[in-house]
Amino acid sequence: MSLFTFVLRKIGRALLTIFFAVTVTFLLLRLLPGDPAQAVANPNMTAEMRATLLTQYGLDQSLLTQYGKYLWQLLHGNLGVSFAQGVPVTTVLMERLPWTLLLTGSALILTALIGIPLGVLAASRRGGWLDRAVQILGVIGQSLFVPSVGILLLYVFGLKLGWFSIGGAYADGTYGAQWYLSVLSHLVLPCLSLVLIQLGPYLLMMRSSMIDALGEDYCTLARANGLPYRRVLWRHALRNALLPTITLIGLQLGFLVGGAVLTETVYAYPGIGRGIYEAVTQLDFPVLQGAFVLLAATVVVANMITDLAYGLLDPRVKNR
Amino acid sequence: MTTPGTERSEAAPAVAVLPSAETVDTDLPRAAAATWRSLRRNPLAVLSMAVTLLLILVAVFAPLIADFPAAYGTQVLSPPSGSHWFGTDSLGRDVFAEVVWGSRQSIVVAIAASAIAITVGTMLAVIGSYFRRLDTVLGVIVDLTLALPVLPLMILIAALAGPSTLTIITVIAAFSWPEVTRVVRSQAISVVRLSFVDAARLMTSSPAWIISRHVVPAVLPVVVVSVVLTASRAVLSAAGLAFLGLGDPNVWSWGRILYEAQQAGAMSSAWWLTLFPSLAILLLVLAATLLSISYNDARNPRLRGPRAGRRRPRKASR
Repeated sequence: MSLFTFVLRKIGRALLTIFFAVTVTFLLLRLLPGDPAQAVANPNMTAEMRATLLTQYGLDQSLLTQYGKYLWQLLHGNLGVSFAQGVPVTTVLMERLPWTLLLTGSALILTALIGIPLGVLAASRRGGWLDRAVQILGVIGQSLFVPSVGILLLYVFGLKLGWFSIGGAYADGTYGAQWYLSVLSHLVLPCLSLVLIQLGPYLLMMRSSMIDALGEDYCTLARANGLPYRRVLWRHALRNALLPTITLIGLQLGFLVGGAVLTETVYAYPGIGRGIYEAVTQLDFPVLQGAFVLLAATVVVANMITDLAYGLLDPRVKNR
Repeated sequence: MTTPGTERSEAAPAVAVLPSAETVDTDLPRAAAATWRSLRRNPLAVLSMAVTLLLILVAVFAPLIADFPAAYGTQVLSPPSGSHWFGTDSLGRDVFAEVVWGSRQSIVVAIAASAIAITVGTMLAVIGSYFRRLDTVLGVIVDLTLALPVLPLMILIAALAGPSTLTIITVIAAFSWPEVTRVVRSQAISVVRLSFVDAARLMTSSPAWIISRHVVPAVLPVVVVSVVLTASRAVLSAAGLAFLGLGDPNVWSWGRILYEAQQAGAMSSAWWLTLFPSLAILLLVLAATLLSISYNDARNPRLRGPRAGRRRPRKASR
C-alpha cells in the first residue's frame, strides 16, 4: 500500500469515527425519555413558547429530516445556542478550547518526558530498586481518582506552601512577560495532576516493551559487536520499544480528556472541562452536547496524527 | 426421523463424558485449586482480598456502624475528634457516617455496572469470535466507541436522563462493555481456532452448546480479571460523575462528599472533608487492581514457580 492510500485510509477512519460520535449524540438527544423539546429547552417555558421552539428547531419534522439538518448545521460549525449565556455554543467552546489544549498537551509531553526515560531505566536494570518503584507507581497510578489527586496537590502546593497560583488560568491585570509567567504558574498544578494520573500505563508499557526489545537478537548482536550497553539501550532498543508507547497515546487520549474535565473542575481552570461542569449545574444541554462533539473530534484528530506518525516510523504498518 | 442436526444436539449431554469434554471438566477444578493455592501464598493478594471484603462488610452493615447522615448538626466543619472520627461537613453532618454509607453506593454501582458490562461484553465477544461475519461489525463498533472520550458522553447522558442510581449504573455499563469485548475477544478468537472446538463441531451442530460449554470456560480466566478491573473503573467513573454533581441526590456516595465540599467552598479549609472519601476510593480501587494483577500471576503456571506447573499437581502442593 502506498503512503497516499495509507494516509487516505486513516483520514477516512477518523471521519467515520466523528460521524459515529455525532450520530450517537443525535440519537441520544432524541431517544432518551422525555420530550426532546424539554431536553433542548428551558423547563420554565409556556406551552406556546415551546411550540415556537419546536418549529424553530425543526423538532416537528421527521427524524430523518432532523438528522439531515443537524448534520448540515454541524458542517457549518453551528452547535446551537447556550441556554445559560444566550450566545452560540461554538463561541463559548472556542474561547475555552485553547486552555484545554494547553493543559492536555503539556500534560502529554511531560508524561512522555518522565515516563519514557523511567521505563527505559527500569527495564535496563530488571529487579533493581528503580524497577520495583516503577512497577509500584504503575499499579498505584491506575487506581488514582483524578479529583483526589487534584485536591491533594491544590491543598499542599497551592494553599499550604503557596508555591503556585490556583484558580483560573492567569492573574487579572498582568501583561506581557508577567502574563506568561502567571499562565505558567496556574498551569503547573493541574498539569501535574494529569501527569500523575496517566503516568502509570506509560511506565508499565515502556518497561515491558523495552524488556521485549532488549531480548531481541539485534540487541544481542549489537552488544556482541562491542557497542556500549548505554548505546544499545538508548539507540537500538528504545527506537523499537517506542512504537507500542505511541499506540498507547492513542488509547489513552480519551482517558486524558476525561481527566482534564475533572482536573479543570477542581482548579476552576477555564477550559472545556470546567465549561462542562458549569453546564451540568445549569442544565445547559447544547453546551454539553457541543462539548462532547468538539472533544470527540479533537481526540479523533489527535488519534489520527499518532496513527500517521506510527505509519511513518514503522514501515511495516503501511504494508499490512 | 430427526435431521442429523437435532439428533446431535439432543445427544449432546452425553458428550460430557467423552474425552474432549472430560479433560476440560476435570482439569478446571485442578487448575482453579492451583491458582487459589498460589493466590493464598501471595501476601499482597491476601491483603487486597481482606481490604475488599472489609469494605463490602462495611457497606452491608452500614446501619449498624453509623446512623444515616441526614440530621444537620450544630458543630459545623469541626476537624476529626473523638466524637466525630472524620470531622463534620459544612452542615454539621458526620463525615465518618457519610463515608460508611457512601461505600454502599460505590459497591452497588461497581457490582451492578460490571455485572451488566461483563455479561454483555463477554456474550458479544464469544458470539463474535464464533460467527466471523458478526465479528467485523462488532469490531468496528468497539473500536469506534473506544476511540471516543467516554466521560463527556457519560456526563451528557446522565444530565439528560436525570441523576439517579439507575442512570449511573446504566451509563457506566453502556460504556464499559466495549473494553470487556476487546479483551475477551482477543482470547476467544484464538480459542475458537483450537482443535477441541473443531472436535466439538463434529459432535453437535448447536453453536450455543459449543460456545457455552467450550468457548466460555476457556476464556473464563480473562473474564475474571475483566470483572475486577471493570468494577474498579466503575467505582472511579461513578465517583467522577458524582463529583460533577451527577450523582443520585438522595443517596450518599464518596463522590458526593467531594462534590458538596467543592460546592460549599470548604475544600481549601477542611482537609478532612476530601481526604477520607479520597482514601476510601483509593483503598477500594487499589485493592481491586492488586487482586486482578495477583490473580493474573497466580493462574499463569509459569509464574507459579518452576515446579508448580499444572501438569505436576503433587509438587505444587509442597
